[in-house]
Amino acid sequence: MEALILELKKEIIEVLNLEELTPEDINEDAPLFVEGLGLDSIDALELIVLMEKNYGIKLNNAAEGRDIFKSVRIMAEYIAKNRTK
Amino acid sequence: MIYQWSNNIISSLGFTTEENYTAVKQGNTGLKYYKNPFDFPEDAMLSLIDDEHLNNAFSSINTKQKTAYTRFEKAAILSVYKALEKTNIDVKSKKVVFILSTTKGNVELLDKKESEFYEAERVYLWRSAQLITSFFDNPNEAIIVSNACISGAAAQITALRLLQQKIYDFAIVIGADVLSKFIISGFQSFKSLSVDICKPFDKNRCGLNLGEAAATIIYSSIENNRPLLSNNIVLLNGAIANDANHISGPSRTGDGLSIAIEKTLQNTNIQDIALINAHGTATPYNDDMESMGITANQLENIPINSLKGFLGHTLGAAGVLETILSGVALLDNMLLKSNGSENPETICPLNIVLNNQNSFKTHFLKLLSGFGGCNAAILLKKT
Amino acid sequence: MNINIASYCRLTNHKLEVNDIDIQIQKTEASSLNDIYRHLNLSYPKFFKMDNLSKAGFLASELLLKNIIIDKETPKKDMAIVLMNRSASLDNDRTYQTTIQDENNFFPSPSVFVYTLSNIVNGEIAIRNKIMGESSFYISENFSPEKIYSAVMNTFSDPNINQVICGWVDYEFNECDVLLLLIRKENQEKIPFNVNNIYHLYT
Repeated sequence: MEALILELKKEIIEVLNLEELTPEDINEDAPLFVEGLGLDSIDALELIVLMEKNYGIKLNNAAEGRDIFKSVRIMAEYIAKNRTK
Repeated sequence: MIYQWSNNIISSLGFTTEENYTAVKQGNTGLKYYKNPFDFPEDAMLSLIDDEHLNNAFSSINTKQKTAYTRFEKAAILSVYKALEKTNIDVKSKKVVFILSTTKGNVELLDKKESEFYEAERVYLWRSAQLITSFFDNPNEAIIVSNACISGAAAQITALRLLQQKIYDFAIVIGADVLSKFIISGFQSFKSLSVDICKPFDKNRCGLNLGEAAATIIYSSIENNRPLLSNNIVLLNGAIANDANHISGPSRTGDGLSIAIEKTLQNTNIQDIALINAHGTATPYNDDMESMGITANQLENIPINSLKGFLGHTLGAAGVLETILSGVALLDNMLLKSNGSENPETICPLNIVLNNQNSFKTHFLKLLSGFGGCNAAILLKKT
Repeated sequence: MNINIASYCRLTNHKLEVNDIDIQIQKTEASSLNDIYRHLNLSYPKFFKMDNLSKAGFLASELLLKNIIIDKETPKKDMAIVLMNRSASLDNDRTYQTTIQDENNFFPSPSVFVYTLSNIVNGEIAIRNKIMGESSFYISENFSPEKIYSAVMNTFSDPNINQVICGWVDYEFNECDVLLLLIRKENQEKIPFNVNNIYHLYT
């Protein structure tokens, strides 16, 4: 799980262009949206693409993402359970 | 104020304004369910211009056999041609200017599979505009407005300003956009497409439908002494304002739209307004935002419709297309129903037109909002 | 009332000039716009999400307004943004196309798609400075001081507009070509806003 969390942090930094952050800056238990990293609706959509592209998990709408993208740890747990690649 | 001399609509519902208006008045939608449109890997509800119909109609007017025109250019040229046909305007005059409103022009040529028949410059909007003006031997450089989904209103506001200054006698305002894998995949990645016919302002609205169209309005500062219809439509005023809030999400307060409406309605008696033809894309946030902007100006009791359930969201064409249809309807003393709206529910309640109804008032307000936080309002009336 | 050029910024790959002052920036090979961002010590992480066109327009607007007393937080209904370029958003459109070109690797990117409209750069500048007046984007084959002048004067036909950020913002094939001007209605006589002066500041 810790390896997946680290991998996920690197991927999030890359796809969301969080240029000035390193994986150590992201607290895996902190909320990703609003507070935390201050991500917005387009970032949420980009995370949906990340889930499909890198892990073969297809989410149909942004509402589904809302529960999964609560924190990096919740995301990693969801991926571990549902990944197809 | 400036006068409409002529207009035309090329869409899934027909290639004349009359065909389009008749279909919409009868409640016919041009939206259809397409399997893998433009090689897009999913299905979509779209309003598309029929290829064969377009090619046939275009080849019958095309005198410049040497140029290979794209779908976008064919639709735009055909629309202008049909609008001009109804007038005696000398399009070769220096006093006639073209104003082109589009969001993406020939963007599908970026796809390697689509580009082989055209020179590299064809993806530039100014190149398409040159081909359109040179088809008609018009000597002026076209003005190209690319302001996301408010482009069609922005182009009419530009026409108003230029004609009022007497720089030109006529402005040929074209709104045109065609669809492609590029555009459909983008909106799909936004999760903003509805697979069913969209439901503007409805409780269960769940997204928009995309459409393609080319629409033309010819405006002049000179009153038309030979009106085509029993009355004329005039453009009185218009304004644009930015939300300064988010590049893609509609404002959660409707502030930008509210400012645009307020500026447009200065010196207007609200009692004269027959209709607000809203943007009404049927995404949850857009329609709520519009309800707030409208209510902030105390216009919530005026009948409101959206034409997106007939022809989809036609992007840069929408402002021109929907202005024409709303104007023709008003000349017919008719408020067109908001197709797809069944159980209206927005954050501020609105008076949605659920069935065609008569109105003998004179003015209508057209609203548009788009990415980049932009909002536009224009006010027209029949004389 | 005079219509003045209150401030200007010229930004290209080789030149960064703000109100007659050349700014020298240590540039790394790959990402000179990011270097300018760092040089300005801005704290605006959204910058890194922008496409090149928006980055270029955004940075030029920051420099343009640097020495102007302007409260970024107060909504400004009297201020407009009128921009023009040659290539619309084609630079970023090509990037988006790469996310959909390959059928076996078809992952359309929403964060790239959102920048496939040229007027998003107006939006970015408006958000940063709370500019709520008119916002327009025009396309022209070539840089044209006449067209910029005409578009701005048309915008001033709205009597509520007192200041306009305007100019040429183009970015394509790694070539940045930006001239931004802040035009203001003022009582004093300064550099007058006219075609010759726009041309002069561009060249």
